[in-house]
Amino acid sequence: MLRQLSTTHLRPLTRRLRQVGTKVRTQLAPLLEQAEPRLIRLREAATTRLRPLAQRIGQAASAARSRLGPMIAEMPHLAQQLRAEAAQAEFRLRPLPMKHVRLLVITDDLPQASLTLAETESFHPDTRAPEAQMLSGIPGRDYRDLYQQARSRLEKIAKVVPIDDTPPIEQVRVVGHDELRAVNEQLGERWAEASRFEEAFRRIDEQDRFVREQQASLENFSNLHIDLGALRNKTRFLDFYVGVVPRENVRRLQGAVSLADHLLFTYLERGDSTHVVIVGPRGEKEGQLASVLSSASFQPLPIPAALEDADPAHKRDELATQREQLEAERAGLRRELADWEQTHHDRLLEAQRALLLAEPFVTLDPSIRSAGHLAALAGWVPARAVSELEARLRGSLALPFELEQRAPTANERPLVPSVPIKHRLLAPFTMLVKQYGIPQYGEVDPTPLFAVTFLLMFGSMFGDVGQGATIAGLAWAFREKLGRFYLFGVMAGLSSVLFGFLYGSIFGYEEVLPALWTSPIHHPILMLKIALGYGVVFIAVACLLAIYNRLVVKDIAAALFGHHGLVNLIFYLAMVFGGLGLAGSGELGTTPLLLILLSLAALAVHAWRHLDAPFSEKVLVVFIETLETVVGYISNTLSFLRVAAFSLNHAALSLAVLTLASMMGPAGHLITVILGNLFVLVLEGGIVMIQVMRLQYYEGFSRYFSGDGHEFSPLRLRRRAA
Amino acid sequence: MTLAPQPYLNTRVSAMSERLLTSDQIAALCELSLPDLAERFGLEPLLDEQLDRRTKSRAVKQALINTLLDELRVLIRPMNANEAGLLLAWGRKYALFNLKTLLRGKLYELDQSEISANLYELPAHVRLPQQELFRAEGVLELLRKLEQGPYSLIARQGREVFEQKREPFALEAALDQRYYGEMVRRLLQVSNQDGNELKHLLGAVLDRVGLLWLLRFRFSYGLSPSETYYQLVPSVRLLHRDRLLKLVNLETFDEILAALPEPLTTRLAGSTSLMEVQRRLGGHVTDEARRTLANGQSGVARALAYLILREHGVLALFSIIQGQLLGLPRELIEIAVEVSEPNCPADSLADAA
Repeated sequence: MLRQLSTTHLRPLTRRLRQVGTKVRTQLAPLLEQAEPRLIRLREAATTRLRPLAQRIGQAASAARSRLGPMIAEMPHLAQQLRAEAAQAEFRLRPLPMKHVRLLVITDDLPQASLTLAETESFHPDTRAPEAQMLSGIPGRDYRDLYQQARSRLEKIAKVVPIDDTPPIEQVRVVGHDELRAVNEQLGERWAEASRFEEAFRRIDEQDRFVREQQASLENFSNLHIDLGALRNKTRFLDFYVGVVPRENVRRLQGAVSLADHLLFTYLERGDSTHVVIVGPRGEKEGQLASVLSSASFQPLPIPAALEDADPAHKRDELATQREQLEAERAGLRRELADWEQTHHDRLLEAQRALLLAEPFVTLDPSIRSAGHLAALAGWVPARAVSELEARLRGSLALPFELEQRAPTANERPLVPSVPIKHRLLAPFTMLVKQYGIPQYGEVDPTPLFAVTFLLMFGSMFGDVGQGATIAGLAWAFREKLGRFYLFGVMAGLSSVLFGFLYGSIFGYEEVLPALWTSPIHHPILMLKIALGYGVVFIAVACLLAIYNRLVVKDIAAALFGHHGLVNLIFYLAMVFGGLGLAGSGELGTTPLLLILLSLAALAVHAWRHLDAPFSEKVLVVFIETLETVVGYISNTLSFLRVAAFSLNHAALSLAVLTLASMMGPAGHLITVILGNLFVLVLEGGIVMIQVMRLQYYEGFSRYFSGDGHEFSPLRLRRRAA
Repeated sequence: MTLAPQPYLNTRVSAMSERLLTSDQIAALCELSLPDLAERFGLEPLLDEQLDRRTKSRAVKQALINTLLDELRVLIRPMNANEAGLLLAWGRKYALFNLKTLLRGKLYELDQSEISANLYELPAHVRLPQQELFRAEGVLELLRKLEQGPYSLIARQGREVFEQKREPFALEAALDQRYYGEMVRRLLQVSNQDGNELKHLLGAVLDRVGLLWLLRFRFSYGLSPSETYYQLVPSVRLLHRDRLLKLVNLETFDEILAALPEPLTTRLAGSTSLMEVQRRLGGHVTDEARRTLANGQSGVARALAYLILREHGVLALFSIIQGQLLGLPRELIEIAVEVSEPNCPADSLADAA
């Protein structure tokens, strides 16, 4: 069967293939003969041309390797840094628990203890005087005075020559009293030298100014048609003074010279200077003038000799030469200063390092008290960092010490610093929260909540893919100038983009993108309802936070009856539910009504009991306060309508821009759309930002955030990594 | 000042004027012991027995100045920028005291701590860039630093004069002159409605300063008429420019007193010494201030009058406390606070000269 198959099918096929092969060879042979030299030429050309290119690519790769090498090498370090940052980053609302720490050390160990505390960056000094009367001494005053004088000298020198503020410090060590004194003395000598340079520059400036005054005066003299040569020398009967005086002194000087029977004429005013001629009779009163002229800062001007004969151009050249000489002198002085800086650069940097190492002890100075050889210092430390702090002290202090820790008492709460939330994304929002205040210890830190609600409100009020992307893009483009704040712009822009997709809006066009949800302008009532709902939730959450904050500080009465306390919240929610019932079924409902009346009565009774005033005044105040509670909550809730209003406003403005654009030709259309979008971005974007901030600060923060805390600011060693 | 804040400011000034001390009250205070004074004015912590006399005196004066400057800050709140500027310019006299202390300290190469102990802690609204000046190592460096601020012109002049003469008189005179010149400049910026009453009150202050300086420079320091005139600030009321030009040319103390306009002639008639003139002129200013406070319509003028009287009161209180700290007899303290007349023969003008 196989043979039959081979005979019938495969043999004809093989034959056919042979025939095709022969045909192909016959047809391709001439073509191959023609192509071969071309291919050879092509290969040679490719070799000749591509080799340099390959060499260049090789060089570039090598250069890239050498440039990227350090970056690549740095990558693990960077990744480690990012991991560390991520580990430290925290989204928390509750404050970081703090401990009050009291450190008792032997006085000799104080500088080392200060350095160690600075290295841990977890010790916020408590400057209160200790309760123990025996700890009344204040050690280290002399050290501090020395430090301050040295620091002042270094800062003054740094105004003359640049000195790195935070040079790398390779070895953290104690700077002793004697070393600090030596540094101070050395800086005193350097400042004396540097101030001589300063003084020399000033002298040149003064001379230059005076030459310029002379130039101006020369111009003026040459226009006068009197014999000025006569003014150079005092005559037998007349006394002449020609010079410059500060404009402010002219009137008084005029009166003063008149008392010496002299006359003052003004002939030129330039800037703050006035050029004057004083003329009077020679005699006994002439002597009075010298002292007055000196008090008035009168500077005599040399009158050009033989002005009437001399060529004014020659005098001009002379003065110009004087200025050139001064300029040359200035350049020489600059060179001299550069040499001086070169000579002392390393020593000044060493002095800077010594002062940076001495700084922690000086910063701690107000917190330190001593009795004999024992010194005590107190501060606030995050609870989780206390054990590490103790371990570090144990490792660094040579002499015995004692570390006591305890939780802050209720009375101390306003003194305890709050540790701010550390997160790269929250950093710009932290800055905005700080504008209002720092959370008091125990208070909820509003930053995460602020960030979320801010972005939500901004996006919903300014939802547009194109404009949002523009904001985000601009913030990204200017990230170096904006610093960490650029993230704020990026996030606000992205929020706007997100809502733009939901609304189906791009640069105001609503027909280009399909709306993932709905367009505000087509459903205004829905938008208003959502905004009201959002407002109710926002206010309720703010009240809950206010209640929580008061409970934390154990102020039960305020949590119950205070502004935005529990009773207020019950009243508000009852009013909301009653309102919903009224809108739905036309009835307020018995339970909401009862709750409203009871909560208002409770508030009124509470206010009545806490008011110390005559009866009629009490009635009036309680009535007004109760009314204010009702009106306040209604108006505050309605205030959130602006969230919807601005989303509508945004769409309406865009519509107006596009309507205007549609009236124009193609170029006009484009220009109108661009300018219109720019207008919307700048004006409406700014207004929306203000409105969101207003809602956050007034409707949110004023309810639950006192903002009267102070920020955790630990003792630090200012330095760059070595 | 716009009409709306006027009633508020006037009410505020009237309420605050309850704190002013009358002559009788000052006389009564002279009879109190130091602990009683401390208790009455809440100064117990400052007059603690453990502190030394100088510290106590310093702390009390500092506290009294703080009280005065705090009240100044309260009073300027409803004022517009020009009015507030005028009252702040008045309050900057304490910054001027500090500046002079610094200058003298640097000039006589006193220890930093010594200088520091004599400086007042002032609130930010009237403070000079003191720390920056304090760090200067020498009077010339101090003047250079001063040249970088609002005192640039006088600092430059002062430095030039100082470099020539090495004495601080010209500089201090220029600083004082600048201070009063600034007040006049600010007065001219205040609206007419308040301006007339302010002109009247501030004029009395400037008349007092002008006349005292004139007599001191001419007869105590022996300066020429030209030099004396140059150091004076023309007043906006009686001792204006032309009158000063005439007065400085007179040769004797009595001639000057006789040539003064009313009410100064009557007020100073029979004065034989500079001390007496100073005392009587002080009385003239406080009388003017009382008149403005009682009858004035302008809130700003009444506020300034209140501050002048308040300052007079707190300084009297300080003199009483200081006198007691020094253990001075009551009679002497009463003379110091002008409750009783000195019965010792006053130095004659000739002696003073």
